[in-house]
Amino acid sequence: MLINPRNIQAVARKEFYHIVRDYRSLYMAFALPLLLILLFGYALSLDVDNVKVVIVDQDRTELSRDFAGRLDASAYFDLVTHLPDERAAVAWLDAGKATIALVIPPRWTENIRSNREAPLQVLVDASDPNIGAISRGYITSFVEQFNSRLLADFLSRQGLENLRPAVEGRVRVWFNEELESRNFIVPGIIAVIIMIVGAMLTSLVVAREYENGTMETIRSLPISAVEFLTGKAIPYFLIAMTDVLMALLMGQLLFGVVMKGSFWMMILASSLYLSVALGLGLFISIATKSQLVANQIALLVSYLPALLLSNFVFPVENMPRMLQLVTWIVPATYYIDILNGLFLRNVGMSYLWPSYLVLLCMFLVSAAVAVVKMRKEGL
Amino acid sequence: MNRIRIREIVRKEFIQLFRDRKNRPILFVMPFIQLLIFGYVVSTDVRDVKVGLLDQSRTRESRLVRDAFEGSPIFRITHRADDPRELEELLLRRKVDIAIKIGPDFSERIRKGETAAVQVLADGSMSNLAGVRIAYTLQVLEKLNQDFIRELVPQRIDYGRIDARVRTWYNPNLESRDFFVPGMVAVLIMIISLLFTSMAIIKEKEVGTMEQLIVTPMRPFELIFGKTIPYILISIAQMVAVTLFAVFWFDIPMRGSAGLLLLGVCLFLISNLGIGLFVSTISATQQQAMLTTFFFIVPFFMLSGFVFPIENMPLVVQGLTYLNPLRYMLVIIRGIFLKGVGMTVLWPQYLALVILGVLVFAGAVGRFRKRLD
Repeated sequence: MLINPRNIQAVARKEFYHIVRDYRSLYMAFALPLLLILLFGYALSLDVDNVKVVIVDQDRTELSRDFAGRLDASAYFDLVTHLPDERAAVAWLDAGKATIALVIPPRWTENIRSNREAPLQVLVDASDPNIGAISRGYITSFVEQFNSRLLADFLSRQGLENLRPAVEGRVRVWFNEELESRNFIVPGIIAVIIMIVGAMLTSLVVAREYENGTMETIRSLPISAVEFLTGKAIPYFLIAMTDVLMALLMGQLLFGVVMKGSFWMMILASSLYLSVALGLGLFISIATKSQLVANQIALLVSYLPALLLSNFVFPVENMPRMLQLVTWIVPATYYIDILNGLFLRNVGMSYLWPSYLVLLCMFLVSAAVAVVKMRKEGL
Repeated sequence: MNRIRIREIVRKEFIQLFRDRKNRPILFVMPFIQLLIFGYVVSTDVRDVKVGLLDQSRTRESRLVRDAFEGSPIFRITHRADDPRELEELLLRRKVDIAIKIGPDFSERIRKGETAAVQVLADGSMSNLAGVRIAYTLQVLEKLNQDFIRELVPQRIDYGRIDARVRTWYNPNLESRDFFVPGMVAVLIMIISLLFTSMAIIKEKEVGTMEQLIVTPMRPFELIFGKTIPYILISIAQMVAVTLFAVFWFDIPMRGSAGLLLLGVCLFLISNLGIGLFVSTISATQQQAMLTTFFFIVPFFMLSGFVFPIENMPLVVQGLTYLNPLRYMLVIIRGIFLKGVGMTVLWPQYLALVILGVLVFAGAVGRFRKRLD
């Protein structure tokens, strides 16, 4: 079968006019990605700092005040206020005005000075489990540090002040030294954008021809399924690649998210992943023949998996076994793995080739399925 | 206003909605699939941390370090390396989350009473998880330290220490599901009510039957009520179904009052239907309506506190979230499900939904009537 470039060009030009004429498609193609990048780079963060703490100090000694003072001075906590009793503290948690409530019971210092364990009540608002877990981690390590200080005091009272701690953890963070969630969220959002433009927008294009009745006309034209689908895909390919470049540029200029790896490897990965998205979108469009249904299905099989089942924000390792298997067939999983390699770990093809290979296979399968389905529809 | 005319248009709308077989999966299947995905997927807990270990000391002391990590329920030593290169490789290939290196002089230093370093390399690519993992690692080492000191010092060390008794409230097991599933109920109601309201009107426009509706003696208000009432009923039915599913399938506790939840949803629907109507006035085709709806849904979703906490956002953006009805609905639904709080705590949210709903709905109706006249 011969492919006639002029046929492809004609379909592409027609599709291009459709997009340009309807400012809403343009919105979706450029403004929405822009909005997402701005939101994710600037406004949305999973990091937790300045945990709001309220303290009920029933001990009122120098030591308890020292404890509160150190807490307030720490970069992780923000001591909002002192409260008279536990009920007031619970009310603050209920209203969401504080994340941690500490209750220092009476005779606390007395217990510590006479070498007994002194309980400290810590209430953590865990309704948001991410914030809850991080806050709990912060407060327990804060208490541990305070304990080390108490131990040092104890040892010096016993005349053992030159005893040093036996082990010391020297932590170095790799790949994302500042521990900024932005550094992994901004690359990840590119995967979501490509799915929106590549699959959600294209899921409408063939269904639209069916709903408007223009499919009949196209069937009567001397054009093959491959030419028709390629022509339909080209404008969206160009738009999505522009979005990718825009995202790269904005990430670097506005948010300081710098890609450490090779630019061309990034372009190659994006083209492959985008082609998978286009194949998927076109297939949905041909199979459903209804814009509303196509849109909803595309949302379900492209946008949501890219957001949820791809190791983007939610770690795959926490999912049930069955769903972990599902993530293996989500294209975004591989694309995000590549992006992680290029943006954070700075590794090359020798590490990333399996993901490239999977994306290539996915592209071949999705394109083949879309073309076969289109042929069955009589083109 | 004529009740019979409204009733008839509601009836017509229901018939049209259910006759079209393609609508059924969207109405009945999609919400449950989305709820299932969210219920099972979304979790940022730190449970199973994979550790790579390089032990160059191979002594009793270094084995204590290994045992300390293996004894912890959170850590799991999955790989052992023989040299630093191999250890780094494990991190680069994402085989482990944390790499621990114990140097050759480890036990020697401890026996001499000096401080021996344990090198910890953490994969920081997912920063929120990495932070928690590092905190846990340091805790394990801190505990180990106290064991070593006990061993080194002949006399008993029973110093007065603080025993932090941490209780995690509202969600004691830190189940992400308890947080996200109720939120998802709100998001689903938003998606369905926004999308279907605008579609119902757009279809009349696309097919050309809008003209016919205009020439009937029906008043604009009657048309608006007739067109929105079916989706109010469907959204409420959906809320009930999805809530039951959340409670009975996922065992999400519902601590507060169901009546308050229903009230919240009704108020929330006013703004959604208003936005749906508004979208229908600015769109001519289904495609346009869908894209415009999506354009509303994405920022509403992102700027609601559903996944990303509002406190973390810059102040300007925090200001914007006050215009987002989903923000208030999430506080209500989570407050009712997780905290079991009532009107005394939640009244500002309800008030905000009323104000926002009335403004949006009135604005949309005004626009809609103008287009009809």
